[in-house]
Amino acid sequence: MLSFVLRRLAVAIPTLVLVSMLVFGLQKLLPGDPVLAMAGEDRDPQVIEQLRERYGFNDPVPVQYVHWAERVLQGDLGTSLRTHQTVTTLLAEKLPPTIELAVLSMLIALAIGIPTGILSAVRKGTWTDHLANVVALSGLSIPHFWLGILLILLFSVTLHWLPAVGYVPFGGDPAANLVAMIMPSVVVGGGLAAALMRHTRSAMLGVLKSDYVRTARAKGLLSPAVILRHAFRNALFPIVTMSTLLFGELLGGAVLTEQVFTIPGFGKLIVDAVFNRDYAVVQGVVLCVAAAFLLLNLIADVVYMLINPRLRRPR
Amino acid sequence: MSADPSVLPEDVVLAVEGLSIGFGGSPVNLVDGVSLTVRRGRTLAVVGESGCGKSITSLALMGLLPHPPARIGHQSARFQGIDPLTLGQRAFADLRGDRLAMIFQEPMTSLNPVFTVGDQITEVVLRHKKVGRSEALARAVKILNQVRIPAAEQRLSAYPHELSGGMRQRVMIAMALVNGPDLLIADEPTTALDVTIQAQILSLIEDLQATTGTAMLLITHDLGVVAETAHDVAVMYAGRIVESGPVEALFADPQHPYTVGLMGAMPQMGRREGRLLSIPGSVPAPALFPAGCRFATRCPFADDACRRSVPPATVVTPGHSVSCWKAPLEEHIVR
Repeated sequence: MLSFVLRRLAVAIPTLVLVSMLVFGLQKLLPGDPVLAMAGEDRDPQVIEQLRERYGFNDPVPVQYVHWAERVLQGDLGTSLRTHQTVTTLLAEKLPPTIELAVLSMLIALAIGIPTGILSAVRKGTWTDHLANVVALSGLSIPHFWLGILLILLFSVTLHWLPAVGYVPFGGDPAANLVAMIMPSVVVGGGLAAALMRHTRSAMLGVLKSDYVRTARAKGLLSPAVILRHAFRNALFPIVTMSTLLFGELLGGAVLTEQVFTIPGFGKLIVDAVFNRDYAVVQGVVLCVAAAFLLLNLIADVVYMLINPRLRRPR
Repeated sequence: MSADPSVLPEDVVLAVEGLSIGFGGSPVNLVDGVSLTVRRGRTLAVVGESGCGKSITSLALMGLLPHPPARIGHQSARFQGIDPLTLGQRAFADLRGDRLAMIFQEPMTSLNPVFTVGDQITEVVLRHKKVGRSEALARAVKILNQVRIPAAEQRLSAYPHELSGGMRQRVMIAMALVNGPDLLIADEPTTALDVTIQAQILSLIEDLQATTGTAMLLITHDLGVVAETAHDVAVMYAGRIVESGPVEALFADPQHPYTVGLMGAMPQMGRREGRLLSIPGSVPAPALFPAGCRFATRCPFADDACRRSVPPATVVTPGHSVSCWKAPLEEHIVR
């Protein structure tokens, strides 16, 4: 198991390097100039030239990349061109709300999506299945921000049950933090639940038709054991893949939802950085998200090994 | 066969009369008026080509045919002093894997890939018997030895993908027999295996039956398997039993044109001259079944009476009966 993890980590490193090159290179292709953005209204050519020299923008792109990569390896992701905070500080500040939103949304999605997916597959063709499908399709098609606004109207403006906006750090007041996170998590988690439900349903439908499920019934096992023990264990593989991908996406920040509920997370950070041509921040955020994605995939692979004996080395 | 006076009632493990199975809105019964009797320590083979309804018959007898969409009707059925076909789902499940067991055609896919052999065998013991885990494991080892799996104890922790097809089928047989069922239904148990392995599995099944006295319903399309393993045989065509009787009687003196055709289509060792015979045409789609004898569309002897009305089962010799207007067939064969 350990050697497997190490091998996977070794494969992850070139991937990460490639991602960093792509991000660095593509960004140079973006229209717009950070120096112009910084220089302000006057655009004094001398100031602009000074700034270019200072930030190394006059060097060839590969040289710029190597300089940047050297600093990254030392843990220095650079400084925001706009706010002059270090990128690591910005990440440390914006990451917790995003992770919290991602984890809570994922929990909600798993708790709703998997059971309804199983139920819908087992009761295929009945009104339970149809209802679940209609709800799931609505969940997939309703835009998150719009649902968020509706929820705010109902629970904050009309009923006064939940705060409309305002993020409270978990460390400051855990209770207030969780209350503030209910609506955003439901909005994001609900959409994901729909996707997970559809995946769980189709995975279960495939497995329920399999010969070993028929064998389980021929053994006289009752439906709960057949469905949960024999069928679901085998339907788990695509569900793990799907969940990993969804969770990885969440780490990139739920841009619109963060905007609606004014959560100071990754989504807002990266959008602002792109608009301001704040290269250092964009590179740092993307690199961080890519690393998280690779880590998640590694975790998914380990989970696969645990649930699928066919992937383990034969004894 | 039910008319056979030599059959003692206490020897009958399963007796079904007039089993009919249809699907959805179609008025045609894919299985029509099938009667079967399986006796203790004996094997009844149901033979027929694919699609003749033999597999859905076995699934219906196991309570594994979802209804709806299937419509299952029958006149009477007796197993363990009860009519299993009238049981509720829960009561039927209590019977399955315990008194009534089944092995399937595909050993490669019939075992659950994520559980060990030991888990899958002990599971069926723990489901039906009031024993602890260690006793269940002991029984699993014992039955694995009986199905001649080498190093049975080590195999308990093996996963299905670590075993060959023949070994997997042995595990399936072990799983079916571990609770000592009264009736074993084997649906094409050797079709997916290599010929040498087929012979091993068949002789294993025979030996186990000799020691346990389990009755067996063997579903197959292979007359060679029938000749080797079965005591009685029922020939099925398009959902009906056309001829049934003891294997020797039926092989020596086949009475139904379809049975005769099947035997002509079977290759024989030693005989070199001539070609294998084939039955002209193919099984019609259920919607096109004739009103009378369903074999009439392919039968060289068929006349209007055959096409119009269903031939009743007539006794040829005690235990051997045939459903054909032209029986005994000898009278129609011009030599």
